[in-house]
Amino acid sequence: MLKNYFKIAFRNLWRHRVFSFINVIGLTISMTACFLIFLYVHFELSYDSFHSKADRIYRVVTDLKTPSEMLHTGGPSWAVGPHIVQEFPQLEAAVRTTGDELLVRKGNVKYQELNSLYADSAFFKVFDFKLLKGDPATALNEPLSIVFSQSAAKKYFGDQDPVGQTVLLTGDGLTAKITGLMEDMPENSLIKADMLVSMTTLTRKFNPGLDDQWGNYGNSTYILVKPGTRISALQAQFPAFLERRNGDEMKRLNMYPTLLLEPLKDVYLRSTRNGNNTGNINNVYIFSLVAVFILLIACFNFVNLTTARSAERAKEVGIRKVVGAMKAQLTAQFIGESVLLCVIAFLFTLGITALLLPSFNQLAGKIISTGVFQNGHFILLLLLAALGIGLLAGLYPALVLSSFKPVSVLKGRFSTGSRGVLLRKGLVVSQFTISITLIIATIIVYNQMNFMRNQDLGFNKDQMMVINTNSDPAKEAFRNAVSGMAGVKSVAMSSSVPGGGNPGAYSMIQNKKGEMQIANLDLYFVDFDYIPQYHLKLLAGRAFSRDFQTDTTQAMILNEAAIKLFGYSSPKEAIGRRFSQWGREGMIIGVMKDFHFRSLQQEIKPLSMRIEPNGCNLISINISAKNLPATISDIEKKWNALIPARPFSYFFLDDFFDKQYRSEERFGKLFLNFAALAVLISCLGLLGLASYSTMQRTREIGIRKVLGASVTNIVNLLSGEFLKLVAIAIIIASPIAWFAMHSWLQDFAYRIHISLEIFITAAILAALIALLTVSFQAIKAAVANPVNSLRTE
Amino acid sequence: MIRIHDLEKIYKTEEVETIALNKLSFQVNDGEFVAVMGPSGCGKSTLLNILGLLDDPDNGSFLFNGIEVAHFNERKRADLRKRNIGFVFQSFNLIDELTVFENVELPLIYLGVKGEERKKRVEEMLDKMQIMHRRNHYPQQLSGGQQQRVAVARAVVNKPKLILADEPTGNLDSANGNEVMELLTDLNEQGTTIIMVTHSEHDARYSHRIIRMLDGQTVTENILA
Repeated sequence: MLKNYFKIAFRNLWRHRVFSFINVIGLTISMTACFLIFLYVHFELSYDSFHSKADRIYRVVTDLKTPSEMLHTGGPSWAVGPHIVQEFPQLEAAVRTTGDELLVRKGNVKYQELNSLYADSAFFKVFDFKLLKGDPATALNEPLSIVFSQSAAKKYFGDQDPVGQTVLLTGDGLTAKITGLMEDMPENSLIKADMLVSMTTLTRKFNPGLDDQWGNYGNSTYILVKPGTRISALQAQFPAFLERRNGDEMKRLNMYPTLLLEPLKDVYLRSTRNGNNTGNINNVYIFSLVAVFILLIACFNFVNLTTARSAERAKEVGIRKVVGAMKAQLTAQFIGESVLLCVIAFLFTLGITALLLPSFNQLAGKIISTGVFQNGHFILLLLLAALGIGLLAGLYPALVLSSFKPVSVLKGRFSTGSRGVLLRKGLVVSQFTISITLIIATIIVYNQMNFMRNQDLGFNKDQMMVINTNSDPAKEAFRNAVSGMAGVKSVAMSSSVPGGGNPGAYSMIQNKKGEMQIANLDLYFVDFDYIPQYHLKLLAGRAFSRDFQTDTTQAMILNEAAIKLFGYSSPKEAIGRRFSQWGREGMIIGVMKDFHFRSLQQEIKPLSMRIEPNGCNLISINISAKNLPATISDIEKKWNALIPARPFSYFFLDDFFDKQYRSEERFGKLFLNFAALAVLISCLGLLGLASYSTMQRTREIGIRKVLGASVTNIVNLLSGEFLKLVAIAIIIASPIAWFAMHSWLQDFAYRIHISLEIFITAAILAALIALLTVSFQAIKAAVANPVNSLRTE
Repeated sequence: MIRIHDLEKIYKTEEVETIALNKLSFQVNDGEFVAVMGPSGCGKSTLLNILGLLDDPDNGSFLFNGIEVAHFNERKRADLRKRNIGFVFQSFNLIDELTVFENVELPLIYLGVKGEERKKRVEEMLDKMQIMHRRNHYPQQLSGGQQQRVAVARAVVNKPKLILADEPTGNLDSANGNEVMELLTDLNEQGTTIIMVTHSEHDARYSHRIIRMLDGQTVTENILA
């Protein structure tokens, strides 16, 4: 019996190749899309779950209350880690980490290691990063100990064993010992580093006393709690702990921290304190939803095409019933066919996914999966999904087909009539509703991306080459050498450039009432040339000037957001007010127009600028577009002559700033691809449906033509029906898309308005696509000779 | 074998009510060969559908082998049907996707006959119908006469007690038509009861008895043999 089913299923699929092709292609595309999305979602959800103690690891973060604002930081002050582990017996360990870019030299080999990480010695006790050589318990104990990743070690030592060898660290050339070799950190790790440096290097050599600094921030702290620890109870004890250890300073500074614990597994996707390079649980939800939608569209195609074809299958059903088939047997047969179809699609999906995976990894910007066949249980899952889809999609058509009455079908009197038509129309409308929603969403995502890229940021980012001197003592000499060069328009130095990080400083500023108001202000150290070179606009007062000797120590410029914070209603009012910040005191000499020093997702924060040559490590070089390569190579020669110890590297500010949008850009690209797939699958279904519908109406078309209908009349008649469905879909999709995208845009402080134009564009696009799909069939039917169609009856 | 009494079947659409069978009564005995004749729309096909347990009557009684089947549900009808009744249609109604062999095999599959046994019985039947050489062909590759021979083979392969033939020669030329009628006569002589609907007086002469219908009622019965 089963053999008979399969035989007839195969022959049926082969005989109706167009139908089978549409179904298999549609199912394959949708299953491939879903499988890729599944891999992506699985990967995103897998972050940090490879640590065997992940359930007991928490990140300590801080809400810092100042008289002016509440700051949400990604870590506590430096003192918290060492003290908290002494205070609470529930803790097994605490690890602080902080990233850096360290110069490493071995003979002639020199690299600025961009992913260097200082870490406390308990690092390997808390986390499961695999140490291939060295002792995990002691590797990070002593100052100037380094643990390299395999690929980093290779750069300096080739295939030699690095453990026990030394390298020169930082521009000062301190000798550091390699105490361990670790496996490269997995892709799905929040913590990523090519090189670990013992935290004691920082706390005992570079910055003694850091372990007791309660007001100094800038590290991440992770704690490992003992099994069975109640986190809420632990967290409730933190205020008293801070009060005991640091109460006096808190009162004196008028800054009150609250320590909070984030489960490690939630940090990557759910924490809002990670900066730019992080996941987003909403994206995971959105893509999961898209996957379900794409799958639904393909299933609807299957249901539609199968029920549309029911007239053809009716005779077979009738005969089988007459010769003794039970309804259940027929149902099983038809479900078997759809399952078979899905299994074929499953095989294609495996192949295509394997082919697409490299480009998908590239699109996603990380190695989501190294290969489809690496993961047996994923394949099994996919097969089960395919069987499930076959069962679900096949169930309704099977029930419909198997309930045909043999009496009516065998005499040829059978017509599908209005049976199932409403359902098919409903399904087409839902498919297009989904597709149009995705089209609208894509347009909005792209408009927002464009908006962010083209928005006037309030500063000049063109032709701006930036070099990090990493506080090399020769930085001034280099700057002077470059500023006179041909092709260089101007040179400025600063601690930070837009799109990069900058310190936040404990500040007291005289507010409108005359009081010294405490606030944590973003801070840029600059030189005299920075403001003119970046085209920053002054609204009141003046820029820094070499004519005023006091400007080097006693002058501050604020942005609009800052003076608003201190209660001033006009920029002028703030001029001449007093400031105190990081040991400097003086006057506010100017107020500048707000500029976007962070991405457009974030509101412009209060910003202060001061002259501080020691703090300025970044050199911004405004170079002319002419002879760019020659100018860059000249600059490189100067660098190699003056700062030979460090490798020459630079970036262009516009690229650098746009990097902040990379994850949005990826999101947009992925979204575009999946939306296009959804539209494609919908169109495949529409194509099939249109061809069946015209086939069924061949006689009607013939009669109409005999009665004088023109080709245009016929095409309009056939296309119009489908366009009506698309129109309904547009009406349903628009508010859904508006609502969804309105909330998506809330993540951006600066965003586009959702205009009517977008909906009109999407509507026209959808209608055009549908029309193109349908009209081919319609035209074919319309130009056919009516004699042929009438004779067939 | 069959005894119907006051059988009624009424088709209703929204506006029109058509009486297809109007208190029809007759009986057919075991081993009989009965032809049913009448103009289009007289209710022949409706009658055949009800006799074949493909449709149920609205009123009246239908005894099949002494069992009242008028109000059987679909499952019971299907079960009775597949064990007792074979069908031959004017348009053959073979499944295009199956070969000659597989078409004939189908009723045995649904009866749950084992593979070996099936093969034996199908081959026997194809031999008898002289289409063994065409066993692996598909219906479209056969002539009309051959197709109808396959259909007859399929109708009788499970050895039904009753064969219902609906204008079995309607789509055939006279030579092929006669061949099919000979086949049916042979089967009848071997004990199978046959009820045949036909327009052809020539075909009707093969039967023992002709029932003539008009407007859902029998008008005359001629006994031929």
